[in-house]
Amino acid sequence: MKNHKLFSILLSAILFFLLVPSTTFSQDYYVYVAAESEDEVHLIHLDGKTNKAEIAKTIQVGRYPTETDGPHGINISPDGEYWFLSIAHGNPYGMLAKYKTGTDELVATTDLGMFPASMEISKSTGLLYVVNFNLHGDMVPSTVSVVDPDYMEVITEIKTGIMPHGSRITDDGTKQYHVSMMTDELYEINTAGLDVNRTLSLKKNAMKMDGMKDHSDDSEEHKENHEKHMKDGTHEEHSKKENEMKEDHSGHDMDGMKKDGSMKMMHAKPEVKPTWADPHPTKPLVYVAGNGSDEIIEIDTEKWAVTRRFKSGKAPYNLEVSHDGKILVASYKGEGATGIFDLESGKEIAKVKNSRKVTHGVAISSDNRYAFLSVEGIGGEPGSVDIIDLKTNERIAVVETGKQAGGIVFWKQVAP
Amino acid sequence: MKKINSITKIVGIAILTVVLLAVNSKAQDKKIVFEKETLSLKLNEETKISAKVVDADGNTTQDSLVFFSRNRRSLIVTPDGNVKAIQSGKFSIIARTLTADRADRISATLSVDVAYPPVKAVTFLNAPENFYNTTTISLETKVVDEAGVTRDNVDVKLSSSNPDVASIDAFGNLKAHKKGNFTITAKAENKSATWKFKVSDNPIASLDISHNYDGKTIRTGDVVTFEAVAKTNKGDAVEDAPIKYTYIAEPDDNLGQGASAQIAQSGKFVASDPGLFTIVATSGDKSTTTTIKAVPRNVQRPLTLVGKGIVSHTRTSDLWVWEGVDGRDYALTGTWGGNGEAIFWDVTDPSKITPIDTVVVDARTVNDVKVSEDGKVAVITREGASDRKNGIIILDVTNPRDVKIHSEYTQDLTGGVHNTFIYDNHVYAVNNGRKYDIINIEDPKNPKTVGVFELDTPSHSIHDVWIQDGIAYSSNWSDGIVAVDIGSNASADLPGAGGSPENPVQLGNYAYPSGWNHAAFPFKSESTGDFYVLGGDEAFPYGLNTEGANRAAGWIHFVKFDDWDSPAEVARYQVPEAGTHNYWVEGDILYVAMYNGGLRVVDISGELMGDLYDQGREIASFYPSDSEAYIPNATFTWGPQPYKGYIFLSDWNSGIWALKLGESTSQGTN
Repeated sequence: MKNHKLFSILLSAILFFLLVPSTTFSQDYYVYVAAESEDEVHLIHLDGKTNKAEIAKTIQVGRYPTETDGPHGINISPDGEYWFLSIAHGNPYGMLAKYKTGTDELVATTDLGMFPASMEISKSTGLLYVVNFNLHGDMVPSTVSVVDPDYMEVITEIKTGIMPHGSRITDDGTKQYHVSMMTDELYEINTAGLDVNRTLSLKKNAMKMDGMKDHSDDSEEHKENHEKHMKDGTHEEHSKKENEMKEDHSGHDMDGMKKDGSMKMMHAKPEVKPTWADPHPTKPLVYVAGNGSDEIIEIDTEKWAVTRRFKSGKAPYNLEVSHDGKILVASYKGEGATGIFDLESGKEIAKVKNSRKVTHGVAISSDNRYAFLSVEGIGGEPGSVDIIDLKTNERIAVVETGKQAGGIVFWKQVAP
Repeated sequence: MKKINSITKIVGIAILTVVLLAVNSKAQDKKIVFEKETLSLKLNEETKISAKVVDADGNTTQDSLVFFSRNRRSLIVTPDGNVKAIQSGKFSIIARTLTADRADRISATLSVDVAYPPVKAVTFLNAPENFYNTTTISLETKVVDEAGVTRDNVDVKLSSSNPDVASIDAFGNLKAHKKGNFTITAKAENKSATWKFKVSDNPIASLDISHNYDGKTIRTGDVVTFEAVAKTNKGDAVEDAPIKYTYIAEPDDNLGQGASAQIAQSGKFVASDPGLFTIVATSGDKSTTTTIKAVPRNVQRPLTLVGKGIVSHTRTSDLWVWEGVDGRDYALTGTWGGNGEAIFWDVTDPSKITPIDTVVVDARTVNDVKVSEDGKVAVITREGASDRKNGIIILDVTNPRDVKIHSEYTQDLTGGVHNTFIYDNHVYAVNNGRKYDIINIEDPKNPKTVGVFELDTPSHSIHDVWIQDGIAYSSNWSDGIVAVDIGSNASADLPGAGGSPENPVQLGNYAYPSGWNHAAFPFKSESTGDFYVLGGDEAFPYGLNTEGANRAAGWIHFVKFDDWDSPAEVARYQVPEAGTHNYWVEGDILYVAMYNGGLRVVDISGELMGDLYDQGREIASFYPSDSEAYIPNATFTWGPQPYKGYIFLSDWNSGIWALKLGESTSQGTN
């Protein structure tokens, strides 16, 4: 035990010496961005000293040279060794592709569901959780594919809501959050249990389910029940039961009906149209982009209730909380702009105009200095990565990319 | 300072390496132990597996495990170890620990053997009524297992009770040696079937052979039907005499090339190369021969460039050429990976192809374009719309110089419409990779969906649809060609089933092993009256070439439909160095775009059999390329359309082209 402690101190000291100089003098930043209508991934390099950015490398991706395969979601393994890319289109299923960072060579692929999108690898299980957005499909419940990133095999499919998006995992790796765009819900997945822990309606006036209360309700009665469940350790079980009831309500199998136009399942029109969820790095909070309600929604995961709603720009789409948990950067897809929020006050402290329309993804550098925004553009217009200095909240660089820049992830920050 | 930093880093990295090695060795000290070392299951059997992690001392640790299948389409495995075998074969299950650090992660493999169901029955398929001495027949058997599946991977052992009378080899060749009784036994696993029979006197005294090209020149590619007739001493025909055909080839030159050909046991023969071919017909100890000469087909014709419309700012996709309501001729081309443009051209004088209007819609790709038969309405497809709604745009092309948008239609089409067809005031829109929606456009400003056709096979997918005589022929990748009655009429080559746009009814289908079915085109041979549906491939089996030009593969499958239930693939057109894309048949000529292989014009007259490319049926080829093209000086041909004596084609790299096929100038035999 004593040895273990000594060893930890020694290791910390070594890491300190290794990392501090790097952090202090680091000036080169790298992000990967996927150009969905170009079937390309670009490695973008920002020189933090000159604020000059450029495409360092372009990697062609996909299966068919004569079809747009649609690279959509992108992420990097926790150890930085590999990057993973979801390819939206296929015959008919999309796929996950694994590349080696640095060399960018294709390592392996595996088939996923319909239009796979955002993903992340859990730090606790080492598994990758990717939502099958089914963006272009029928309005039916979809799945989260859980993939072993070493073997590149799908381990299981977790049933979720309609058009799930925004797969992000807590820093401890135990919970994955995503939203169900067409049912206005936040989903929490137990990454080790490989099942849905609980769901939360994100509507302002969430409909009450028969015989139960929705956890988005913050009434006193609900709070008392919640506290009781938290105290007696049955909170997750309680939530799970609620979820089962909700799933029973919304998870109708419509396959048998879809060929008959008169029998289409009618869902209530979504109000919030949530498109992204990102947990706070240190607090029990999750932030959701309300794409249809023009707001950022804060959820307290201990209370399992909406605690704050921040008015945002038009149609926030993706968002990311800074690694120090102080600010939140959101892409405003509907107005070609980026919103920067102070999370303590819940105020939008800056709105930065993007270089073109249809702002898509957000990635914040590991030192919280820069935000990298992918911007799709329209039609034949190139996409772009707009880079914002989060000290000045000003756009410092624009890098034109292939068409429809979408999925984006920060890779590394190194000394030149 | 820099030096100190470097030394610090080197020391640190060295220590970290030691630490990681220590952690790794710790991981390697553990291992996963399955409850059973191997697993044997029956088809559809379910079971539960378990495993534990033990340390170097054999103590069970608290590590969490998940299980998964490496063959998930054959063996279902849930993370907690429930297993169901849904296909037979040898598979594997992985168990791995749930850890964050890859170095600390361990896994193990469990081999699973899912046995095929036992054989239920083996039967003889073609036992003849008579078996004449000295003759040989091919005996066929069929094996069906307990699951009702016909199996071709079961070893069938054939034996004769009396080999001196009749012997049989491993391939089912049964040879009669002398008169007498015998029994053939076919054994598959522990099931067997017997066929008691006898060798009878051979009445055959001679063989005559004839063919249907007597007095005619035989060219490579001509399918010659030989008929050998066995006769008795009295000259009577022995109708049930088994006859085998083969040939001896002699090339017509001394240049080292062989004279290849193909002969079927029905007597149908086709030569791929010129030369002398001696056809040998044998029945027992009697044989006869006849020799024919196959000459070069000599169908080559000049193909002249008439005009071109170079598109230099983006890629070009599909095209449609039609006669406008003003009597002039027009073409519409789509664009790919660009700005959502559909370009209209005046092609009345194909030597002066002139752009006359461009419609720009919110899309990156306008993959397909079609114009109604009356020349008034066009439909263009959308993919990559910025609002992701995609769908189709219906255009008023009454005046192609001033095209107006009738309507945008996205209902249930947001997945992107890849291909479409207009037929009888309805649009058939292939969308979301899985189905085609049938949209009534009688009022083109107010289109409405009236029907949908979607297969119900697992993982079904669709690429294109083409309609003729009220029957829709869709191409469905691994599900192949599917014919659907959407209102068949009297002109249809095969009977319909009372379908309509509101009630599409499947008629038949034909799938082939590669699963590359990308396009389907029905045609009735002008020269023979045979009805075919051509299945065209699209494939890039060599993978995405990220360094240079891509190489396609695949061919045109000639599938003969005598009825909906028994399609037969009889021929192919395959260019070794290229792969097929879109194509068109007119007047017993196939026009096929071969991507990097350009346009190929192919003679498909007469009966078809074997590899048409090898038979010298290629009439002409053309490689469009232009220095001003979007991709300069490179061919990537997308699709052709024969029209009013010209061949129009779109090329992905360069735009629209017009060609003229000239008359044959050859001094050959045809």
